[in-house]
Amino acid sequence: MMSLAARSGAFSPYLQATNYAVAGPLKALIPGVVVKGEKVLVDTKKPFLTRESLNGQSPKTGPAVSVSINAKAAVRFAHTDIKVPDFSDYRRPELLDPKKSSQESSESRKTFSYLVTGATAVVGVYTAKTVATQFISSMSASADVLAMSKIEVKLGEIPEGKNMTFKWRGKPLFIRHRSEKEIAVEEAVDMAELRDPQHDKDRVANPKWIIVIGVCTHLGCVPIANAGDYGGYYCPCHGSHYDASGRIRKGPAPLNLEVPYYEFPDEDTVIVG
Amino acid sequence: ARDQTWVCSDASSSPILLSLRRGQATVTYAQSLLGAPETRLTALDNGLRIASEETGHSTCTVGLWIGCGSRYETEKNNGAGFFLEHMAFKGTKKHTQMALEQQVESMGAHLSAYTSREHTAYYMKTLAKDLPKAVELLSEVVQSNALSEADIEQQRSVVLRELEEVEGSLQDVCLDLLHATAFQGTPLGHSVLGPSQNARTLSRQDLVDFIKSHYKAPRMVLAAAGGVTHEELVGLAKQHFSGVSFEYEDDAVPVLSPCRFSGSEIRMRDDDMPLAHIAIAVEGASAASPDIVPLMVANSIIGSYDITFGGGKHLSSRLARLASEESLCHSFQAFHSSYSDTGLLGIYFVTDKHHIDDMMHWSQNAWMNLCTTVTESDVARAKNALKASLVGQLDGTTPKCDDIGRHVLNYGRRIPLAEWDARIDAVTPRMVRDVCSKYIYDKCPAVSAVGPVEQLPDYNRMRSAMYWLRF
Repeated sequence: MMSLAARSGAFSPYLQATNYAVAGPLKALIPGVVVKGEKVLVDTKKPFLTRESLNGQSPKTGPAVSVSINAKAAVRFAHTDIKVPDFSDYRRPELLDPKKSSQESSESRKTFSYLVTGATAVVGVYTAKTVATQFISSMSASADVLAMSKIEVKLGEIPEGKNMTFKWRGKPLFIRHRSEKEIAVEEAVDMAELRDPQHDKDRVANPKWIIVIGVCTHLGCVPIANAGDYGGYYCPCHGSHYDASGRIRKGPAPLNLEVPYYEFPDEDTVIVG
Repeated sequence: ARDQTWVCSDASSSPILLSLRRGQATVTYAQSLLGAPETRLTALDNGLRIASEETGHSTCTVGLWIGCGSRYETEKNNGAGFFLEHMAFKGTKKHTQMALEQQVESMGAHLSAYTSREHTAYYMKTLAKDLPKAVELLSEVVQSNALSEADIEQQRSVVLRELEEVEGSLQDVCLDLLHATAFQGTPLGHSVLGPSQNARTLSRQDLVDFIKSHYKAPRMVLAAAGGVTHEELVGLAKQHFSGVSFEYEDDAVPVLSPCRFSGSEIRMRDDDMPLAHIAIAVEGASAASPDIVPLMVANSIIGSYDITFGGGKHLSSRLARLASEESLCHSFQAFHSSYSDTGLLGIYFVTDKHHIDDMMHWSQNAWMNLCTTVTESDVARAKNALKASLVGQLDGTTPKCDDIGRHVLNYGRRIPLAEWDARIDAVTPRMVRDVCSKYIYDKCPAVSAVGPVEQLPDYNRMRSAMYWLRF
């Protein structure tokens, strides 16, 4: 680098980090072989922390440069002049004293570092998981869509013996206000007769109201209410007869009408879904 | 007769082939363990210790090992020990430089010295019969160094030139920077050479103060190995070294405080260099720690490698095998520098700029392997290699003398080969795993890198490779 810089003449100041006039082998600056570098003003206020400051600061008179044809070109700047900066500002308290061995505090320092790293890693992973979950769950159904998944029905508007049909989640929902007689009949049905044995108790929360999804379990047609041989529903497509509890009694359907999840927040309302 | 009897053969009648004792070394391992004579240790009244091993050679190495080094220096006089080493042979109060050199040369002796972070040594290799003269010259060099101002000024430029030259030895630069960053803010971070600023400004008074505070008898060992008798050596020591002081001014005994190790890194990036020199280390065991031997075995498992090794994929160290097959590096070595209360356990490698990531990965993988899944066969092989190298290193009077000097300073006695052997035998794979886990597993390393090091992984990644999630 120095030789290249010396040869390139005009460009030499730009090719070196520190600029010193050097007598080249062919072009002497001044007669003689050894040229001392220009005096570098030592800035004592500037802290001795960077390579640039070390470069100019260490030997009092700057590097002595010698270039010649026969002898070695050299920069006399001994490696012993390199002073390792004082890092006390950055050291841990246990290591500030240069007269104390660093082995004793080694365990505790490592434990501290690893504990802090470990705790940060755990917290970091948890944070990442939370952020990721929030982003991904933003793709799930929004509140208005979720609200549409439930239906609230005022039961007072359904007279006894009547079946009301509601559109719920794209399917027909039957709510039937049963009379005492009907309830008694359905509860007395023998399990052995049923293709899909289920007691009426297991299909209703409040026996007065039978709430089923109006989709025939055979091939999906909508049964007609208050029709059929069993006082319930009749599917006209293939002739499936359901009773007042929505159970299949006659016909090709294999299962009883599906009972959705519903709750009675009070006497007069039901929320299905 | 053409009848060949193999049972009773004497050398004169059997074929030449049989007289070569193939497969038999001249000395068995057991013999080399027990054959070395005991190292004898005495102390003078002023605390100076004398240790010697009498091997009967006709040459000997005698020297003074002093427990002082760059670790005892402050930032202001960092490099004083090194400077002093340069001044050592520039004349004493009794002999000028010329006279000193002439004395040494006429004996045909070699006078040298070295300074490290915790030890300084001045030693002479000479004929056994010249021992008295050698001890006299050494005592002068150490106690009555002339330290003339003129020589000091002249040596300044020599030291500066040496600083400049050491920049070319990138291994030293890398390992110096490793110490500087690993032990930042502490005396162990100082380089032995000292900064160039100190080389320009250290005065005679600084050097005199340094000698006065550290060259004290209780911290010195006069060690010798070769054809020397202990009694003669003790007599010479009494004669020349009784005057070494053992008291400190103002009772200011320099006490070494522990040095904090900092897991850190330093990168000296220069894309114009052809090769990158990188060292990674963790805090290791002190010289006197019981963990030293398992760690030596562990380093032996990783071993060392150079691109000139011919073993290829048949090398026994896993890392060396990978280095060879995947051309991961030009060389690597596992090292353990231990000081009186701490150490650096690491791997140093030299590689080109496209293989740094892979080499670092496999080096740390080798460490993890040591901590978790090292096997019986790895340990057995490493133990043998370690024993062989320990015995093989002591192949002359100078290594032996150096061994004696350093051991007495570190341990207070010379640890004989038989003891090393017993300790090495006691190492089990479980022990290697436990000890390595204690020093390596999930510890912050210190890394230093010189050269085109763009590919060196970020520090956090290197720190993460110091443990395995599967464990």
